[in-house]
Amino acid sequence: MPIRSPFESSIAKPGQGNVVLSLLPPNNPTLTTLTYKYPLKLVPRAPGFVPTPDPAALSDSCPSRPVHLYLLTYGGGLLPGDHIEVSIKLEPKTRMVVTTPQGSTKIFKTEDNGVSVIKGHRKKMPANDHLSDMSQQSLDVRIGRQSALCYLPDPSVPYQNSRYAQVQTFTVDAAARGEQRSSLCVLDWVTQGRTSRGENWNFRFWKGRNEVWAADEKTGKSRLLLRDSVILDDEQEDELATDESDDDNEDSSHGLNPQPDGGDVPPQAQAGLLPLNVIQERTRPHGVVGPVFDKLGSFLIEQFTSQPRIGSRNWSSSATSSAPEDSATARGDVTWTAARVRAGFVLVKFGAKDFETAKHWLGGLLREEGSIVREFGEEALFCL
Amino acid sequence: MLFEDRPQDLESEIAQLEARLHDMRAQLDISTYPTPPSSHPDKSWTMQSYNNKTTNNTTTTTSKNEQLFRPSSVRASSLHALLLLSDSALPLGSFAYSSGLESYLAHNKPSRRTNPVTSFHHFLKLSIASIASTSLPYVLAGYRRPETLDTLDNDLDASTPCIVAQRASVAQGRALIGVWERAFRVSFASSEQTSSSDTGVTTAINAIDEFSSALKSSFEDVDEYDLGPRGHFAPLWGVACRAMGLDLQQTAYTFVLNHAKAVLSAAVRASVMGPYQAQNILASQSLQDTIMGRIEREWNTEPEEAGQVVPALDFRIFNS
Repeated sequence: MPIRSPFESSIAKPGQGNVVLSLLPPNNPTLTTLTYKYPLKLVPRAPGFVPTPDPAALSDSCPSRPVHLYLLTYGGGLLPGDHIEVSIKLEPKTRMVVTTPQGSTKIFKTEDNGVSVIKGHRKKMPANDHLSDMSQQSLDVRIGRQSALCYLPDPSVPYQNSRYAQVQTFTVDAAARGEQRSSLCVLDWVTQGRTSRGENWNFRFWKGRNEVWAADEKTGKSRLLLRDSVILDDEQEDELATDESDDDNEDSSHGLNPQPDGGDVPPQAQAGLLPLNVIQERTRPHGVVGPVFDKLGSFLIEQFTSQPRIGSRNWSSSATSSAPEDSATARGDVTWTAARVRAGFVLVKFGAKDFETAKHWLGGLLREEGSIVREFGEEALFCL
Repeated sequence: MLFEDRPQDLESEIAQLEARLHDMRAQLDISTYPTPPSSHPDKSWTMQSYNNKTTNNTTTTTSKNEQLFRPSSVRASSLHALLLLSDSALPLGSFAYSSGLESYLAHNKPSRRTNPVTSFHHFLKLSIASIASTSLPYVLAGYRRPETLDTLDNDLDASTPCIVAQRASVAQGRALIGVWERAFRVSFASSEQTSSSDTGVTTAINAIDEFSSALKSSFEDVDEYDLGPRGHFAPLWGVACRAMGLDLQQTAYTFVLNHAKAVLSAAVRASVMGPYQAQNILASQSLQDTIMGRIEREWNTEPEEAGQVVPALDFRIFNS
């Protein structure tokens, strides 16, 4: 039996990917490691790095050209049992843009008889137990001192009856201070499913966790700076979910969405019935931190604090009745909050009536402020 | 404050609570929780031991003895500590927080589809589900591993981005330390108590002491990446209950029940319902079932797996 390479095991598992971005002398960002295994695919936009037409255009605070990495999966989504595990290391003074060029990450549900929704791409899944039946994705990014990550992907779209768990961990350099700090701007959002098929939060389970850790390489100690964890569970046997559902629509319409007739009722009006359901589109943090994003963070806080507050705002007004020149937030189409939380983070949470509204609103905000485009290029906003 | 304004209400509430505690006990006895983790092989702190003790007593004596007052049973049951910690008069300031009720009501003007009480019932369920999913794992971990209090405190702080919720949690946590130091410690940290067979009691007492002195000597924002101790309520509740000899079930139940009481109190203040209706809900089987169900659900949830099951609550509190 041949001796196996000790390095093989680290990339042998399906769905695993490993990326290291280094800054080679004199000032040449290079992907020194790039491995991935089916069904995952990692593609740098150009070999090694993104060509910048005018290197002189780099701002003073930008130590090297950003490298653009595409995150792809075969079929553009995740089947039950798929485990995607991506590990990225940004060495000091590097910059990376990560986007999802395939559009939203579809979370598929394989029927019990094993017929896959995607044609031809993968074999039928065998009958699985609860855990392996779930689609899982983990992303682990280590961001060295003075390096920056801009990760603005498309939302995940959990199909009806799908089950999904995701853990994203970002580790910054605990010893870096001031302008040396690591920077990250991360977007994580989830939609109600395929609206064209009438799906409306009727997946089985969606769990997402984002963590930021500060790790000190010398002492080996790490400390949790920020954790955002959301669990959307239809709790099929639980009274919480079955409150208002009838016995005759047990198969799919209870759970996260027991209101089958949401059609003409504006989302805000449903709030009294089921807050779990009120935000038709909701996200988890769009977290911003680090010197590169200082201006953006302040801008978001300013925008938020200039919003009208409860009492000065008509919450019962319907989304469709507003004048076209109103902004999305003034119309009540987007509900959002921004807060400066610990360790210099600016945390933005938002919910919107639909995906397009959220995308338009967020893209507008980020373009208006301009930092992302200036530091990472327009393509960083590819998904927005 | 509700309890300052109406002492007679308070008295009747205490009487009702005492009666209910008796029932709660009986329920806990027969509850179907999985056994506590093997890291605590010492069973003396569990309900089980109390149960066995009484059973043994009754079987070895005549049935008439059931009518006799048995001080040892009361002592062994940690009844005294339980009543102290479930008392509405415990100065934690818990009743100052509505947990988002006002905001919820403001955002949910009664419509043709709902009335305020129905709407409140729903809010209460969501609120309990939310506190159980976000905080209860920290209560349980604080009880099971008191020596990790500072890590739990940091991690809960990192996991509570909602500023309003964070302030409420820290205020109650620090108030709990204050009550412990000024009132409880002298009685519960005496040598007689700590000679208890549960070594965790001593660990818990030391953990609070160390945490408290760290809290007093720390300055805000000394380091961007190391904020020092904050004093969050949930892990401290777990540790304090361990120090005071409660069992884990009691610790979890009082935590969630006290939350429900605070929300109900806020509902009375907001004129959603009267005090009798609030007591009616508090006493109801459905509330007990809800609480039991949520505790059972989170019983084995590690803190890192804790998460918000009602994301909309964060928006609402944030926006209030």
